[in-house]
Amino acid sequence: MSWKIWSLKKSPWVFHVNTGACNNCDIEIVDLLTPKFDVERFGIKLVGSPRHADALLVTGGVTAQAAPRLREVYRQTPKPCVVFAIGACACDKGIFTTGYHMVGPVDKIIKEIDPNAIIAYVPGCPPKPEAMISGIVKALAAL
Amino acid sequence: MNQEELNNKLAEIKDKLIAIEQPVDNKIWFTCEAENSYEINKFLFEEVPLRFVIATGIDSDDCFEVLYHYAYDETGCMVTLKAFIRDREKPEIESIAPFLPGAEWIEREIHDILGIDFRNHPDMRRLILSDDWPEGVYPLRKDAKKPVSWPDGEPSSRPTVDSPSRRTVPLSKPVLVVGPFHPLQEEMEFFQLTIDGEIVTDIDMRISYNHRGIEKISESLQFDQVPFLVSRICGICSASHPLAYVQAVEELAGIKPPERALYVRTIINELERIHSHVLWAGLAGHFIGYDTVFMWAWKYREPVLDLLEEITGNRNNYGNVKVGGCREDIPNELKPKILKDMDEIEKKMDMLIKAVTDDPILHARLKGVGVLSKEDAIKYAVTGPTARASGIAIDVRQDDPYAVYADLDWNVISQPEGDVFAKVVVRLLEVIEAIKIIRQAVKKIPEGPIAVEVKEIPAGEAVGCVEAPRGETFHYVRSDGGNRPVRHKVRAPSFVNVPSFKASCIGQHIADVTITLAAVDPCYSCTERLAVVDQYSNIIHDYDTLLRLSRERTAQIKKELGAPGLKMEDLQIG
Repeated sequence: MSWKIWSLKKSPWVFHVNTGACNNCDIEIVDLLTPKFDVERFGIKLVGSPRHADALLVTGGVTAQAAPRLREVYRQTPKPCVVFAIGACACDKGIFTTGYHMVGPVDKIIKEIDPNAIIAYVPGCPPKPEAMISGIVKALAAL
Repeated sequence: MNQEELNNKLAEIKDKLIAIEQPVDNKIWFTCEAENSYEINKFLFEEVPLRFVIATGIDSDDCFEVLYHYAYDETGCMVTLKAFIRDREKPEIESIAPFLPGAEWIEREIHDILGIDFRNHPDMRRLILSDDWPEGVYPLRKDAKKPVSWPDGEPSSRPTVDSPSRRTVPLSKPVLVVGPFHPLQEEMEFFQLTIDGEIVTDIDMRISYNHRGIEKISESLQFDQVPFLVSRICGICSASHPLAYVQAVEELAGIKPPERALYVRTIINELERIHSHVLWAGLAGHFIGYDTVFMWAWKYREPVLDLLEEITGNRNNYGNVKVGGCREDIPNELKPKILKDMDEIEKKMDMLIKAVTDDPILHARLKGVGVLSKEDAIKYAVTGPTARASGIAIDVRQDDPYAVYADLDWNVISQPEGDVFAKVVVRLLEVIEAIKIIRQAVKKIPEGPIAVEVKEIPAGEAVGCVEAPRGETFHYVRSDGGNRPVRHKVRAPSFVNVPSFKASCIGQHIADVTITLAAVDPCYSCTERLAVVDQYSNIIHDYDTLLRLSRERTAQIKKELGAPGLKMEDLQIG
């Protein structure tokens, strides 16, 4: 394991990108920070800029207007980084698959600019906070 | 005015109309030709006067239709004006935005999705579709196909604010750009604030980031599948949207759901209101530097989510309403637990309300900030707590009661001031009212079935309204007798509340902008992502700067007042 990956696994700082989600996954992500779940105990911290982030929490099935911005955010994130596709929409566009304004899902957009991107999937509509924590733990263990 | 006087008043315009229909007492449908629509709209809005709800554009077989929906809140009457545009090649209609700024966005939207031109519209830039969407492709036309490929990176010929080469203000003026990834907005708006020193002098907005094309997807789903789609319009209103849709379909088909289902709907909608308002209070605290309130509020919200999970099986996206009733019942064993949890939450909320309303710093920080006057509130046609905090006591639950609200004892909360503090008070007191409603509903819920069988949905059209936590949610459904809606229009409350920033933000300090934008509760997305640099005026502001400015202002006020820090022993924590 390279030292870069080793350091990525400790206290991951995350940046949250909403690319056209319905807000459910987003409020559940914020819920992770509040007293009941409190992931800051484990060093997981929501940061205000992708340049500070080890991981991106991407929600939503990527609308046409959001896609270029998602690519830009991914470019700005220091590598290596992990992209978490949170929720059914981010994993495969979910119920919005047939929408005319949807160009996702997340992995397709990210792989266009980086075929070797590390992408982890947390399905659910919305995934429960417990599921998100479990997804992050499993993904970091698999690195 | 009662219903009869309203009918007489409306009759004054009848020479200009083709037809008037009144299928039920409080639903009136007008039809007219496009040429007369401007005059009739002006009459309805200015002389009657009615509250503008939304407009719907429809592609029917041989012509286009624009439907203007109005509400008369005293009697809960819905007036819909249907204007026919016969020329399919070059559809045109007079814009009503010059006298009704609340219609500006919807006309831009209808132009984007149907290609109808609005003459004399003040600002016809692209609104709802992405910058690179090809010109001349209108997704909601019946013959529309999804464009196979978008021209790569080529901007649309109609400029939008979110493209640096097409800034709408001269570069000499300092501009603060907010977004597009912005923590406060459900729909990821992009704000461009023109500033003079510390004062905001203009604001421009761009949406589309969250446009998923739900209205079009809905046309491809069966009537029974649509509630699952519309509950995902907004995760925090995921009980209100399906209910509004279901009520529209039930009115269309003349279905009466059983009594018990109506009680279940009421309880779930009020639980949702509690969790939404408490969530908002927490985030509002966060924006002005009271993270304690943020953590507390979100902690007290958890029992509500647990209750919802116990009843419906999911913390959000309940999927519980269906045409003709409900899918899941509230088990009788759960009733004591609901009542006990309500007592707990009420205690915590009392504490929170005391902490917020008695705090001199919050008074100094929020009073007189981001004022939306009553006149502006009417012009922008705002709804929900945003309207009620500006002294307009409208509430669908009272004006056009649905579910069982008419049988229960509760109050509409309103405040005259229109500032951020008033909005805080309205929301917090509404939580107490919601608790009151739930208690009564749990005690009065009758035994019986929770759904009736639904056979066929006949041809026709209907509207359904629900008071969501953020304001009135409006759904319009048209059926041709098949098993799918031919047109389904959704008006979420934020669509009318967000443009009112134009009235409430101008003249404010930059430090007050975050909380003013937040005060409308435009469906929060997440915490901090507002990082943007303006490379033209060399002003670098990002979300952290704004948050710091906002918090510094709180600290400064605290110092000026000589107020002691918040002491833990002052508060009853139990």
